[in-house]
Amino acid sequence: MKKDKAAKGQSGGARGRFKVGDRVQVRDMPNIFYTRTQNYVRGVVGTIAECTYRDLIPEDEAFNFDGGLEQYYIVRFRQKDLWEEYPFECDTLQTEFPEHWLEPAGH
Amino acid sequence: MTSRPELRRQYDLIESFQPALHVAQNWNYENSGPLYRAFMHPPHDVGGQHDVPVYYEEKEEEQWELNTYVTCEVLGWRGVWNSEERRRRADNDLGYTLYLGMPYYGRWIWAAARMMVDKKHISLNELIDKIAEVRSRYEKR
Repeated sequence: MKKDKAAKGQSGGARGRFKVGDRVQVRDMPNIFYTRTQNYVRGVVGTIAECTYRDLIPEDEAFNFDGGLEQYYIVRFRQKDLWEEYPFECDTLQTEFPEHWLEPAGH
Repeated sequence: MTSRPELRRQYDLIESFQPALHVAQNWNYENSGPLYRAFMHPPHDVGGQHDVPVYYEEKEEEQWELNTYVTCEVLGWRGVWNSEERRRRADNDLGYTLYLGMPYYGRWIWAAARMMVDKKHISLNELIDKIAEVRSRYEKR
């Protein structure tokens, strides 16, 4: 709880495991009680678009558990990779994850 | 006392909330993998689901909604909960029926009350007594 406010505004930069341009796969973990990692990105490969900041992760914060800070990343996916029936080749979708939910593509 | 016909209408309403699956379900012995996964899906993750077109309108906040917002923020400033706990309670622990049926800020104030009881700031009977007292005050008007 104490770290909640302090964590905001810190920039992550190079401290994280991934850098801009890295190919990453979203981990396909079970949904138990709470998460903010959307179902439709699980197991899909995307590209790191931005290393944003360090913050508590939702699964900890939702239960007021002080699990420490993690690097967050904005990941860019091809819409075609998310929705087979999507009609346009070049469109992308960006969303954000803490490091916990990502692993290197093709690991 | 609630009249018996009124009580029957209340039960009919409650029964109508049952999910419109063509499978009777109450206390299932087992759930298939996909069904289990669907049950565990958090209600706020709405991406990819079909929906009907929704009429878009600009709705101004009502006074009770503003009061709810401020109450929840103040509870945060006082360290009673953080915003993620509110999202968890308000958006997810309600379950689909209440999540979809409550007004947006109805979820918030429900969550705030639940949090106060969970964290032992008030007892459930204190809350029940207070709500009953306020309700009877309004009914006398």
